[in-house]
Amino acid sequence: MFLDVLFNIDNGYLEGLVRGFKSGILKNQDYVNLVQCETLEDLKLHLQTTDYGNFLANEPSPLTVSVIDDKIREKYVLEFQHLRNHSVEPLSKFLDYITYAYMIDNIVLLITGHLHQRSIQELLPKCHPLGMFEQMGAITVADTSANLYNAILIDTPLAPYFIDCISEHDLDELNIEIMRNTLYKAYIEDFYKFCQELGGPTSEVMCELLAFEADRRAFMITINSLGVELPKDERSKLYPRCGKLYPDGLNQLAKAEEYEQVRMIAESYAEYKPLFENVGTNPGDKTIEDKFFEQEVTMNLNAFMRQFGFGVFYSFLKLKEQENRNIIWIAECVAQKHRARIDNYIPIM
Amino acid sequence: MSSLFRGEEMKLCQIYFKSEVAYSCVSQLGEMGVVQFKDLNSNVNAFQRKFVNEVRRCEEIERKLRYIEKEIVKEAEIDLADAEETCEAPKPKDMIALEVKSSFNKTALNNYNLFAKIDQLEHDLLEVNTNKDALRKNYLELIELRHILTKASQFFEEHSQHEVEDTVSKTAFSMEGPLVNEAQPSSSLRLGFLAGIMNRDKIPSFELMLWRFCRGNVFLKTADLTELIEDVQTNTLQAKTVFIIFFQGEQLKNKCKKICDGFKATIYPCPETLTERREMLKGVSMRLDELKTVLDQSMNLRKTLLVNSSQSLKTWFAQVRKMKAIYHTLNMFSYDQKSIIAECWAPVSELQRIKDALDKETKKVDTNFQTIIHYVETKESPPTFNRVDKFTSGFQNIVNAYGVPSYREINPTPFYVITFPFLFGVMFGDAGHGLLMLLAAGFLIQKENYLKKAIKGNEIFELFFGGRYIMFLMAVFSIYAGLLYNDFFSKSANIFGSKWRVNLPMNFPFENIQQLSLNPNPYANESDKMYSGSPYAFGLDPVWQLSTNKITFTNGLKMKFSVIIGIMQMVFGLIIGLKNHIYFRRKVSILFEFIPQIIFISLIFVYLCFMIFIKWIKYAGNDDELTGACAPNILLELINMFFLKDGTVSEKDGVVTYDLCKRLYPGQHFVQMVFVIVAVLCVPVMLFTKPLLMLNKHKKSSKYGSRLQGQRNPLSINGNSSDEDDDKNAKAQRLGHTSNSVINLENDADLEEEHFEFGEIFVEQTIHTIEYFLGCVSHTASYLRLWALSLAHAELSEVLWTMLFKMGLTMAPPLGAFMMFFIFTAWGVITIGILCVMEGLSAFLHALRLHWVEFQSKFYKGEGYEFVPFSFETILNEADNLEN
Repeated sequence: MFLDVLFNIDNGYLEGLVRGFKSGILKNQDYVNLVQCETLEDLKLHLQTTDYGNFLANEPSPLTVSVIDDKIREKYVLEFQHLRNHSVEPLSKFLDYITYAYMIDNIVLLITGHLHQRSIQELLPKCHPLGMFEQMGAITVADTSANLYNAILIDTPLAPYFIDCISEHDLDELNIEIMRNTLYKAYIEDFYKFCQELGGPTSEVMCELLAFEADRRAFMITINSLGVELPKDERSKLYPRCGKLYPDGLNQLAKAEEYEQVRMIAESYAEYKPLFENVGTNPGDKTIEDKFFEQEVTMNLNAFMRQFGFGVFYSFLKLKEQENRNIIWIAECVAQKHRARIDNYIPIM
Repeated sequence: MSSLFRGEEMKLCQIYFKSEVAYSCVSQLGEMGVVQFKDLNSNVNAFQRKFVNEVRRCEEIERKLRYIEKEIVKEAEIDLADAEETCEAPKPKDMIALEVKSSFNKTALNNYNLFAKIDQLEHDLLEVNTNKDALRKNYLELIELRHILTKASQFFEEHSQHEVEDTVSKTAFSMEGPLVNEAQPSSSLRLGFLAGIMNRDKIPSFELMLWRFCRGNVFLKTADLTELIEDVQTNTLQAKTVFIIFFQGEQLKNKCKKICDGFKATIYPCPETLTERREMLKGVSMRLDELKTVLDQSMNLRKTLLVNSSQSLKTWFAQVRKMKAIYHTLNMFSYDQKSIIAECWAPVSELQRIKDALDKETKKVDTNFQTIIHYVETKESPPTFNRVDKFTSGFQNIVNAYGVPSYREINPTPFYVITFPFLFGVMFGDAGHGLLMLLAAGFLIQKENYLKKAIKGNEIFELFFGGRYIMFLMAVFSIYAGLLYNDFFSKSANIFGSKWRVNLPMNFPFENIQQLSLNPNPYANESDKMYSGSPYAFGLDPVWQLSTNKITFTNGLKMKFSVIIGIMQMVFGLIIGLKNHIYFRRKVSILFEFIPQIIFISLIFVYLCFMIFIKWIKYAGNDDELTGACAPNILLELINMFFLKDGTVSEKDGVVTYDLCKRLYPGQHFVQMVFVIVAVLCVPVMLFTKPLLMLNKHKKSSKYGSRLQGQRNPLSINGNSSDEDDDKNAKAQRLGHTSNSVINLENDADLEEEHFEFGEIFVEQTIHTIEYFLGCVSHTASYLRLWALSLAHAELSEVLWTMLFKMGLTMAPPLGAFMMFFIFTAWGVITIGILCVMEGLSAFLHALRLHWVEFQSKFYKGEGYEFVPFSFETILNEADNLEN
């Protein structure tokens, strides 16, 4: 499209930057080396030779996994915030949309933590820094979802997503889980719509990614709710309706009662069929989550094949998160001397 | 000089250490900075190497030092002393960690080794800091409390006054009435309150949240603190606000507390009655005073600690970094049971020094063992080592930016020193602008030592600073060229007296004419003679400044100059190429590359210069029939020469006429024909001979190939020249077998050398040939940029003069004087900004191109890689730069 010509005026610098960041993502060779580490100190030494550089240089020994986790997260959050601070409409809006997911996670984390009698000062540092908002601290005051909406969320961008879960019920574990999924559903659908409006390569790349995300959630909700007492119509309300499963697949999923049925439904979709093959819970087998993660990594890497779109920003963050999970997985295995499953990371190639 | 001309001779050495001395030997080599170690374990991960723990220990100590440094920087008064010039790397035993004592004891510290000392210091500092932080936290909290108490009393008092003044408002304040009036504690409405302090920026959303959760049933009163106070958590100064919330009932109280929690507000107990508050305020003030003295004490302790370490902190940094570098180097060596083997490149001229240093270090430990240096012959090309100083380094950098010279190839840097600024000067020829540049360069050189430190980190300025000597020479040459062109800010100076004069009678009607032509004939009658016949003493006659055909005249002059300079430089390049061929004994290349090349360029382009000189000498400004204004056009002469045409013959309507005036010398046509034919014959000679000869040679050698290979044995020369070293030699060879990987690598290189493909070589030779012969033409034309740039520069400065300065000078007196002020400013800014900086950069760029493309293509390969010696100096500098 000819409007692509104008893309670089506002976003060229940031796109270049994000591609630069992406080239710093650990390669397969790095993982091969990381896996050989004996201690966390070895891990640190090797990470020093990568783009992470001296990010752990000022940490006193002995290192812990949580310190590494914090520092890795701090690094990519810093990168993301740099991008956000230099962006203009509509990219800034797009980047904000990405952060809403973290807001939802944070809200759920705070409420669950509060249910378990944790103090707010203890919970706040655990929240993801990209999903911070001002009123967060007061969440624990709310005891019903209506309260939560009226007093706190009304000021946040999440307010429109919340309409569907206002009720006078007390917040308990199941309610929270339902709330999280309802929020997510509304969020993904809204994000999907926003990307469609942006048009061009952005919508082509992002709709693909979001559709996948929506379908993954639908599958996961179904699988996780198989043994739980959740009415079927309630369940179908939680499915995001922007994926490839909509509408037939979702209808069938809503009726599914056991895992085998879910697999059958996936069979009829070319994209998801291979994901359900060779899945098992035995050691050495891959879990269905890992399969989805792998697929997600591939899709995110493909997003970098397109130019003049915002997809790369989303994909970069997702890839960085996956890398973070990988390093932490390896670090945990190293720290706990539990090397049998150390290879279960998902390489980003 | 010889090392700059051709790079130093290098040798690949294997050094056999005894493991006890390896450390101190490497340390010594690091101080000398003359060897480049090769990584013999490149296939081993960073964390699987031998000395990984030592490296880690060094990094840990570095971190502690950084911590101490950060603490010192926080204290503004303490200065960090610079590192001592001669701090040796610490001994390995300095690394041993001792048990850290819990108390700060200065005398015991002196007995510690370096690392333990730093451990102890860091431990003490941490302890003092935790104490201090606890005290400080307490102190800050008390300050906050004091603020709350004062604000609260102010607030309560205000309201009680209100009540007295205005009884009507009492009804309006029915809700708050009882609480503000403390005289009525027995009121039916019992209101509680919370007092606290929080960051000012969060107040609006805090208020909103309170309102929503409590549905308007609480009353919030805030008061901003006028001064910034330190935050308890973050230790930064922040704007804070004191607030009081009034509410009724326990439930609301809990809600309010939770909200306060969420907004990170600190709530302090605040008594309800006035007297209690006064009591409390008094108590708080007293405790504040006490705390202050304690806090001061611990600050003093901290300060003495920091002052003590500030003296030697930088030295410690240097020492630890040296140690780390040594262990990194040791990690590159290969190990067997008894000894350590290192491989390194070293310049031949330093070998004796290296050997002496190693022997000295070894003797210190054990007199029986000797560190052996063993020279290895290898097919691998050695690194290029040019010794540069601050003067030549700028020029060497320009050369390296194109390509580092191949090993032992002639390095063009020494020629650059003169030719580069010279070509620049030709293009930037204006003595005035050159003078400005000279001042700038002179300043940079004069303040060199100061500036080197001051500009660290400023990349653009460092670029100019690095080229200060280049700039200096460029300025000198532009002044020289400016004098030749007689240009000072586009004006000419009549220093030696012009050789032209307007030889006309007094009553000549000047007012009737627009232009006056001067007669250039030096042989004219005395009455008509206007040109004296002898040229102006130096450079261009200033009379040209006034003439309308100045540009035509200077164009002809500068163009010819450019061509002559260019051809000289290209021929010079070819001669350097010859020197290279002789040095590397490439006989075939001399006979069938250099000779055709030099013949071609001489017969056509040197001959062109020859024609230029003849034209200059033969034709003068007289009207003589033979030598008059019929001088031939050199360009046309050259074209005619290529088409084998006689320039003196012209054909018109079938009538052939001869114009002998155009003939430069008798027999010109014949000579030119011979030249062109011979030159063209050079092309096939260069194209075919060399590849065919190589093919022939290859066929021969492959016949005897197997026999030759058997004879090729690596020559090994022992570092010790005496006869008694035979057994050592044997030992060295035995050890040599352990480093198998190295030997394998060499074999691979050998095999690759044998690979021969005729097609490839022929194509390469074709490209080379075409490039040269076409290049000669295009490069000669390319040198015309010398004229073009100097023309542009002269014109630009002249335009600036006529458009600005002349305009100012011609204005009427009172206004003119005033305007001149602004006009001079504009002229000055444009002169420096555009004519000096921009034009200077552009002339620099073109000089660079002429050297890289036109000059270096005649001889330069530039396929080497730089010698990067293991040197503490560079390692420490790099670390310093990183810090900044």
